[in-house]
Amino acid sequence: MVYAVEMRGITKRFPAVLANDHIDIAIKAGTVHAIIGENGAGKSTLMNILYGLHKPDEGEILINGQKQAFGSATDAIDCGIGMVHQHFMLVPRLTVADNVVLGKEPRKGLLYDRKAAIAKVAEVCSRHNIQVDPAKKVADISLGMQQRVEIVKTLYRGAEIIILDEPTAVLTPQEIDDLGEILRQLKEGGKTIIIITHKLEEVMDFSDDISVLRGGKHIATLRKAETDIPELTRLMVGRDVQLGGRKESAPGKEEALRLTDIVYAAAGRQILKSISLVLHKGEVLGLAGIDGSGQTQLAEIVAGVLTPSGGSVVYHSRDITGKTVAQRKKEGIGFIAQDRQKHGLVMDFSIAENLVLGFQRRPEYCQYKIAVNSKAVISDAQKRIREYDIRTPGEQVRVSMLSGGNQQKVVVAREMGSRPQLIVADQPTRGVDVGAIEAIHNILINHRNKGGSVLLVSLELDELMMLSDRIAVFFDGRLMGILDSATATREQIGMMMVGSSLEGKEGPAS
Amino acid sequence: MKINALKLRLKDALVPLILILIAFLFSAIWISFMGKSPLEAYRALFAGAFGSTSGVVNTVKKSVPIAFASFAVIVSTKANVFNIGAEGQLAMGAFGATMAGIFLKGLPAAVHIPAAILAAALGGMAFALVPALLRVKRGINLLVVLLLMNNIARFLLQFFVLDAFASDNALVPSTDRIMESARLPYLIGPPYRLTIAVLIVLAVAIVLELFFRRSTAGYEMRAVGLSPEAARYAGIDINKYMLLGLLLSGALAGVGGGLEILGNHHRLYIDFSPGYGYDGIPIALLSGGSPLISILGSLLFGALRTGSLNMQAKVGISDEIISVIQGSLILCIAANYFVKYLLNRRRSGKAGKEAGQ
Repeated sequence: MVYAVEMRGITKRFPAVLANDHIDIAIKAGTVHAIIGENGAGKSTLMNILYGLHKPDEGEILINGQKQAFGSATDAIDCGIGMVHQHFMLVPRLTVADNVVLGKEPRKGLLYDRKAAIAKVAEVCSRHNIQVDPAKKVADISLGMQQRVEIVKTLYRGAEIIILDEPTAVLTPQEIDDLGEILRQLKEGGKTIIIITHKLEEVMDFSDDISVLRGGKHIATLRKAETDIPELTRLMVGRDVQLGGRKESAPGKEEALRLTDIVYAAAGRQILKSISLVLHKGEVLGLAGIDGSGQTQLAEIVAGVLTPSGGSVVYHSRDITGKTVAQRKKEGIGFIAQDRQKHGLVMDFSIAENLVLGFQRRPEYCQYKIAVNSKAVISDAQKRIREYDIRTPGEQVRVSMLSGGNQQKVVVAREMGSRPQLIVADQPTRGVDVGAIEAIHNILINHRNKGGSVLLVSLELDELMMLSDRIAVFFDGRLMGILDSATATREQIGMMMVGSSLEGKEGPAS
Repeated sequence: MKINALKLRLKDALVPLILILIAFLFSAIWISFMGKSPLEAYRALFAGAFGSTSGVVNTVKKSVPIAFASFAVIVSTKANVFNIGAEGQLAMGAFGATMAGIFLKGLPAAVHIPAAILAAALGGMAFALVPALLRVKRGINLLVVLLLMNNIARFLLQFFVLDAFASDNALVPSTDRIMESARLPYLIGPPYRLTIAVLIVLAVAIVLELFFRRSTAGYEMRAVGLSPEAARYAGIDINKYMLLGLLLSGALAGVGGGLEILGNHHRLYIDFSPGYGYDGIPIALLSGGSPLISILGSLLFGALRTGSLNMQAKVGISDEIISVIQGSLILCIAANYFVKYLLNRRRSGKAGKEAGQ
């Protein structure tokens, strides 16, 4: 049998890591093949090799049985391989059609033939039954649509084998279903699809075959029909993983946080419209909503990095509306910012330095009031690395050298290590692997069970429903309602996320 | 892992050396266009800078203000500000030191010298305060303001030297001489005249290293410099550090100018600085933010300035070629990423990039 892609003995070394260690993977033509693994397992490296972006140190690649050596992505594209990156590479100000043909434009004489471009793109779309409006500007379409544009781009260039890197990371639940449909159609049209992901639900939804990588090695290739999520998780992580909250006690009645009429406007746009809500001690309050509904701004207002245009923030019966971030940290508010690389960490600092960021003025980290007590900082860092299972050769390693999951563990270790009473967690598991997700979930639930409070922003409904006691749903800067997570359904929350309020209820509940 | 880290560090150290080499090679092309032998020119340059005791002393002397200018740029860069105005602050520091040297009378040297150095620091700092406030209060682009402030400093200096404080008995336009008690003592006396300014450079470099590596404020400043957003999210007052960084930077540049007056000239001239403040910029960039390492760069630039005289005399190449070398060096620094890229490509992989991401 001839495979669409065969990779034999692929080995790739980077200065500090063996990213791919003699990987053998064969992918059948006309199937959807998932490549799964934790962050740092080597899946992106492997796909970058297949797409010609990296050269393997050892091993060979066969496409449709022919041996190939790619010097660049152009070679791979000529060979019928297309790749949709996790971060889209589109020009926002150009139209969909312009973006698709960019670099391979139809011409009329010396000029760009826009009409022909639109016609060609429309033709590609209808052949594969993908709905995109070729005349729209990319800046005006949703992320899900942009992803379709990327897929159409590969098809326009004649791709028979399409690689998708973490395709669902930015999509809403509905868009994920639509993507599944598109992939199914492409498969029926004879294309071979490779998806890189660490989300196992999607793997089970989308794929025919599944290859698991761990630590740069190929662990197994399985047929979907013959496996299940627990087995895949075990293969990925190398041990059993228990996802799911263990909520023990009921939330207390004491208020930890009370927000009253919070308003926030930026650049003339109302981002938060009079939000009032209460978070109790021993409670996880989830903030649900499509990305950009104002949840992040609310979290940042509580953490103190954003100043609200109006309203008050009361924490443990004290008004902290005007307090600085540093004061709030002292009062016991921990904050896991959404963008760890930009906001949570100084990427060029070592792990040890990052572990005290924001707490550097605490007496235990200071000497003679003005100097850093390096001994304390280092021994503390070593303790946290052990306690939070941060995978690193040492505490002096630059945090930029760590994988996403381990970077996030550094942030969590720092914010939790300060013994906060309220944790504001803005998408704490975004882009991290299943092992780290488990660890972070456990940490948040333990915090709650010990009587602490958690304000949790997440775009993943499953995560919210699993961890939260109550879920506040946001739409366009408004609080659509607060549901008890024990009785709420996905459909209910999904409806509220797109703007329909709870039936029979007017205005925000609290 | 340890060995790998060491290799990476060696590679980091290699880059500045390669840049300097490229700058010299590039300038050699121009020298040969002028019909001279680059080899001979560079030999004369080297001989002038290091070939005699007085050459070495002059090299060291000239490196003092340059080192302070590079400290100034390093400190500001750590606080995420690029102090391109060191030249102006250096001139105002020289002015401050001159005033303290002339008008503070009847002080013992042990008090007068520190007072004059303090005046230099205040002069530089005051001159950095204007752009700093414009930036913090009004958000005005610092680069433009700092650059323009250099011109203001030049005209102020002319006004002070030619008019306000012009000496009646001097051959070249200058101020009066500073008091004996304000002059820096010699480490090596006449004819070489090497003053304790050298020791001050070393001491300040060590204090700065300790400040950045050991102090909490230094840690916070580095955080602001490396990632202002992350620092803000951590509750660090980034405006405070930008202000502090720029003021400290101005003070350091000012001290550099002051020492030049207190140690070498003993009076203020219009052209006492041939552009020491600008020399600090490439050195700061080459030294990777380390004050101690920047002393090496300052010695190199001091040597260029000293040796160029000999090169002019022996080979007949105008000392303007020094500006060519420095200019090419700055271009090379701009192309630094390209050099790093070439180095990394030879190892066939992107160093430091997390695999699997």
